[in-house]
Amino acid sequence: MNWKEWIFTTDHKRVGVLYLIGSIAAFAVAGIMALLMRAELSTVGPTITGNPTQYNVWLYAHGAVMILGFQIPALTGFFANFCIPLMIGAKDVAFPRVNALSVWLFYVGIILALLTFFLPDPPDVMWTGYPPYSTITTGNTAMYTFTVLILGFASIIGGVNFLTTIAYMRAPGLTLGKLNIFVWCTLGAFVLQLIFVPVLGTAVTMISLDKYLGTNFFDPTRGGDVLTYQNLFWFYSHPAVYVIFLPFIGVIYEIVSTFAKNRVFNYKMVVYGGIGGIVLLAGEVWVHHLYVTGMADWLRIGQMVTTLMISVPVGLMVIGLVGTLYKGSITFETPMLYALGVLFLFLIGGLTGVPLAVTSLTLHLSDTYYVVGHFHYVMAVAGTFSIFAGVYYWFPKMTGRMYNEFWGKAGFWLTFIGTNIVFWTMMDIGVKGMPRRYYDYSHFPQFEGAHQLMTLGAVILGVGFLIAVVNWIVGAARGPVAGNNPWGSRSLEWTTVSPPPHGNWPSPPSVAEDWDPYCYGRK
Amino acid sequence: MAHEHAHDGHHGAAHAHWDTSVWPFVISFGILFMLPIAFSFHYAYNMPFAAILSLGIGIPLIVAGVVGWVNEAHTQGEGLSYGAMGWFILAEAMIFISMFAGYWYMRLIAPTWPPAGTVELPKVMPLVMTAILVSSSFTIHYAEHLLHEGDKSGYVKWLLLTIVLGACFLGMSAYEWSHLFHEGFTVKTNVFGTVFFSITGLHGSHVIVGLCIFLAALKPALSGALSMGFARTAGLYWHFVDIIWFFVVSQVYYW
Repeated sequence: MNWKEWIFTTDHKRVGVLYLIGSIAAFAVAGIMALLMRAELSTVGPTITGNPTQYNVWLYAHGAVMILGFQIPALTGFFANFCIPLMIGAKDVAFPRVNALSVWLFYVGIILALLTFFLPDPPDVMWTGYPPYSTITTGNTAMYTFTVLILGFASIIGGVNFLTTIAYMRAPGLTLGKLNIFVWCTLGAFVLQLIFVPVLGTAVTMISLDKYLGTNFFDPTRGGDVLTYQNLFWFYSHPAVYVIFLPFIGVIYEIVSTFAKNRVFNYKMVVYGGIGGIVLLAGEVWVHHLYVTGMADWLRIGQMVTTLMISVPVGLMVIGLVGTLYKGSITFETPMLYALGVLFLFLIGGLTGVPLAVTSLTLHLSDTYYVVGHFHYVMAVAGTFSIFAGVYYWFPKMTGRMYNEFWGKAGFWLTFIGTNIVFWTMMDIGVKGMPRRYYDYSHFPQFEGAHQLMTLGAVILGVGFLIAVVNWIVGAARGPVAGNNPWGSRSLEWTTVSPPPHGNWPSPPSVAEDWDPYCYGRK
Repeated sequence: MAHEHAHDGHHGAAHAHWDTSVWPFVISFGILFMLPIAFSFHYAYNMPFAAILSLGIGIPLIVAGVVGWVNEAHTQGEGLSYGAMGWFILAEAMIFISMFAGYWYMRLIAPTWPPAGTVELPKVMPLVMTAILVSSSFTIHYAEHLLHEGDKSGYVKWLLLTIVLGACFLGMSAYEWSHLFHEGFTVKTNVFGTVFFSITGLHGSHVIVGLCIFLAALKPALSGALSMGFARTAGLYWHFVDIIWFFVVSQVYYW
């Protein structure tokens, strides 16, 4: 093995693997932060640290690294890189060097996030960085700003790269109507990234300018306004949920279609109604994060309507999945188990989001554990499960080898059970009044038992994920040879050898008139 | 991932090598030293010497990376850059839109405007700057037209004229900033000072980037090796910078 061909690679598959390694490392770090927080909360009052700021630092690292260092890079970095050129029959992306730049900028972002633990004054601003706290704290807000800016820039140039690739580099005969759902989903996610990441970049730059250069964006005594930040921040960060949601549901579509041996149900409605609807509505719902901050009523009511409306395209995408399962000949390998797990978790997460969208109910539920439970179901664990589903699914293509099926399933059931223990309990005590972000809940001692149950669930969850990662490492090193198309999929990426060589196909592929990626049931 | 090579013999697709480029790696770590580390040393930890040291590591890495990249891309050629620039401009436009949105929001909720401490902004200078920037958009368009006709030396002349016009614009902008600083109007004065200098500064930095793209085009243009695609891409970015200026001048100077 030539290490230079890995470090300096411009090949999309190797860039993808670099993304995967980095994001799994980030996942491990952020997961340890979550376990530390759970350990801290296992008793009323100080448990493993006497320093509340330390808890805030864990909270910051958990949120920021999970979203910016794990989910978005794994979904729009690893999966997009590895799959899109193979799915559209291209030999690489449009700009291979730009692709390498984006993966190394991602690593720089990860390094910055990890530096957090070695600084005398780590950032303690959560992943949201709200002023005025972020502009007056003694923590190093600049590290937060630059982590976001560098990861944001990496994803913008990645987005430009992939939109150009999808537009110009499809194989002959591969019309837009024959694209995989995953390609459509990622296309939507990258359009959202291009539109909204710059807004986040502007917002976090403003807080560092305020803190270090003395500008007045968020200083009310000189005409500034703190709500400007919250508006700009959520104008990105709500669409960021769809940047995570779209690729992850795309991964699930590929898996469900393959293991149900069935066509994607309602393909056109999923693409135009589902993905198109989400891209159109994503930028008009951010105010539901600010319901209780004193927004004008016309804005709150208007955005309550759009927030409820966006469940329609999301529902269309879930119906597409259920329809694909209907009358399929389903087999339950590990990727499919994770995919069905996503369907279950996403349904719970989605339905528990509806009360939060309604302005009157939010007054009670805002800033409680109910919100935390809801967004962990809908985005955090559903997204993470789909990343694990996708890695298992494309594992034979990526490595040419097979993982261990028994440990794959064992890991799934542990994570699935742990997840539901943690986040169901969370929603339960949230409704009963447990506020979020508390380091010491001595005003709510009645929740101590529930917190201990959640800590137990978090440990089970962590063991399950650990089993999966070990399974991949062992499988990549010495699993049995898998063959080129172990799942019997029709999609284009399975027609090349495993692992694909540089350039993907010996000669550029072209597709037949009657082929599409889901043409099961006919030869 | 050693098995990747072990499998080569297995399926018989013997490839000589995988494409590599060191420059993305070099630029990324240059950025690490130049931006977050230097900034933190200077502003958060008050260690100016360490900050200068990190700049001394970061800036050479970035310059070497960009020069190496441009040489490599120049010899290997990257097509499709015009379409990609369109998407990139969408992202760039969003930066300006969010700055303007913040500005409008704060201005519309303000009890009085302009806030205390604001000085009279010059009225004639922005018009001259507008005229200069607009004419530079026409000169680069004419240069592209000449290149399309095959007149390579004509392209170089009009490209140089565009660069001179852009530099004049930057010079006037710098003069105006220093004039306002002398009158005591800075980013710290009030929210209008903050917005004024960040929006004009953001636009000015885009002018600088545009000029850098033109300078990168100059070398291949002089040797007659410039591709039409690169010239059109550079021109597109410049037109974008020009169009944004209309928003800057109308919203910040004359509203």
